[in-house]
Amino acid sequence: MKQRTAVCAPARPKLRLLALLLVLISFSAGVAMAQSLDNLHSILPAEVNGWKKAAPPETYDKSNLFDYIDGGAELYISYNFQKLLAVRYKAAGDEEIVIDIFDMGNSYDAYGLFSHGREREDGLTGQGSEYNAGLLTFWKDRFYVSILAYPETEGKKEIVLRLGRKLSQAIPQEGPLPPVINLLPQPDLVPESVRYFHHYIWLNSHFFIANQNILLIDDDTQAVLAKYKTADKPLHMLIALYPDETKAEKAAQSFLKNYLPDAREGMAQLPDGRWTGCRLAGNRLNVVLNAPSREVAVSYLESIGTGRPPGK
Amino acid sequence: MKKTKMITRREFIRRTSLAAVGGAVFLTKPEWASWNAEGPAEAAQEAKKSKVVLIRNKDVLDERGRPVAAVVQEMLDTAVKELTGKPDAVASWKTLIKPNDIVGIKSNVWNYIPTTAEVENALKKRVLDAGVKESNIAIDDRGVIQNPVFRKATALINARPMRAHHWSGVGTLIKNYIMFIPDPDNYHGDSCSTLASIWDLPHVKGKTRLNILVMLTPQFHVVGPHSFNPKYVWSYYGFLVGFDPVAVDATGLRVIQAKRQEFFGEERPLSPPAKHIFTADTQYHLGTADPNKIDLVKIGYDQDIFI
Repeated sequence: MKQRTAVCAPARPKLRLLALLLVLISFSAGVAMAQSLDNLHSILPAEVNGWKKAAPPETYDKSNLFDYIDGGAELYISYNFQKLLAVRYKAAGDEEIVIDIFDMGNSYDAYGLFSHGREREDGLTGQGSEYNAGLLTFWKDRFYVSILAYPETEGKKEIVLRLGRKLSQAIPQEGPLPPVINLLPQPDLVPESVRYFHHYIWLNSHFFIANQNILLIDDDTQAVLAKYKTADKPLHMLIALYPDETKAEKAAQSFLKNYLPDAREGMAQLPDGRWTGCRLAGNRLNVVLNAPSREVAVSYLESIGTGRPPGK
Repeated sequence: MKKTKMITRREFIRRTSLAAVGGAVFLTKPEWASWNAEGPAEAAQEAKKSKVVLIRNKDVLDERGRPVAAVVQEMLDTAVKELTGKPDAVASWKTLIKPNDIVGIKSNVWNYIPTTAEVENALKKRVLDAGVKESNIAIDDRGVIQNPVFRKATALINARPMRAHHWSGVGTLIKNYIMFIPDPDNYHGDSCSTLASIWDLPHVKGKTRLNILVMLTPQFHVVGPHSFNPKYVWSYYGFLVGFDPVAVDATGLRVIQAKRQEFFGEERPLSPPAKHIFTADTQYHLGTADPNKIDLVKIGYDQDIFI
């Protein structure tokens, strides 16, 4: 059978160099060992506003995380989970505040985990945070932290935020964001829609493409999905960085074969009238989904990594 | 596990566009509903409707939000009578369970919103009333594979709460049987779309006599590592009861989606979508998820019913 060739724009030398740099950075950055879970436990006060820290804390690793997080451990494990420290503060009665500190091994995965679940960002602490009705989540460096205090009261909210800020301050450095994030065009980007992942299930969780991994996204891939406002329905951008050009080429071929078999120059109009297309650039595959026109789709694809806004 | 057919968003768009042209679009179904390897879902369905009873009673929760045992019993009895057409509860249960049955009551122990002892005990009482020896009844969740009663079970009663779930969209009656397999993780891919295949395993197939979706305090949205936030839990005071687990789950899902619409003030689809309910219909033929093929009987409290 004649093999289909991915029809994608040739990589420009500058972009190719940038992509190579990004991959090099990605395998060397974000893994500095700055703080240990034990240290973070020790900086938490023994008592705060009458709430007493229960001892000893619980620790979990990949082998027993399922015992602690009922039915949800796979999410954390898919984001490179290393270790969890669970600390409880108890007050009168059965009430408790639960602090879960996840060591994700590197800042990319700590950010990725946070990005997977957040609905908005409020900047209350860490490098990104969200407080919602008794639950504070934030990330900083290689740590993802959740502090639960249900049911919410003003008093408990104050304690939750105080503990969160104390933990954030105890993590001495910020960790780098996944470089692939910086390739996203900025105009009309919906910031809280940016999701970083390296498992195709999480792509489908936010934007279903296919029930099989037709984009070949795995642990060697860095992928980002983001939503953009348009005049009507939003469009989505997916950028995937593969370990090498060969795999990126295979992913492009797989996507075209399984999703856009009628594409011309990597672009096709779907039955709903919206446009979807892809461009290969070295080890990077750029995909635009649900664009209102071919021109808009092309402009988004061509603006990736250039710093130029897409034309409309 | 059955190998799944490649399904893409594009294929869905194509099918729904064609359906719209033909005037036969499934307006009440989410997108996954029309996907069927053999053709349109409608063609594979039988004409017979699945009966689902929605029973609600505001007195079922006490002032602390705990179930009131007597009201739970009365509600479940009424639902089973409606399903069987028998005049009293014991006679109804005797059409479902025989004295020589070995009965496993598959519960759900998730600590934030469990099936509850009140529901479990109400079910067990009626199984006893049907003549089953107590030693031949077990209530279990995570230990069902090892449980000697479940291992010999000739009949299963399936009871669990509905809640938003970050792997499967919603935790459902279909999903409640994931503990009957040793490798639940292998069913989490693709939004748990293959869950209904578990119901075809020899130690499960054909044994389920009754499905109870506990809708006392459902959770309609999920955030955080423990997947629970009381902000997204509300008192619905109900049970959905039926013989067809897919029909019951699909009905519960409509309630959850309606609550999300009300709460968020906009259409906010579950993420991930509750695909497994619809693949249970269109790919595994476990039951029907099509509201047009569900005979929904509503009993009791009707405020904020959402359906």
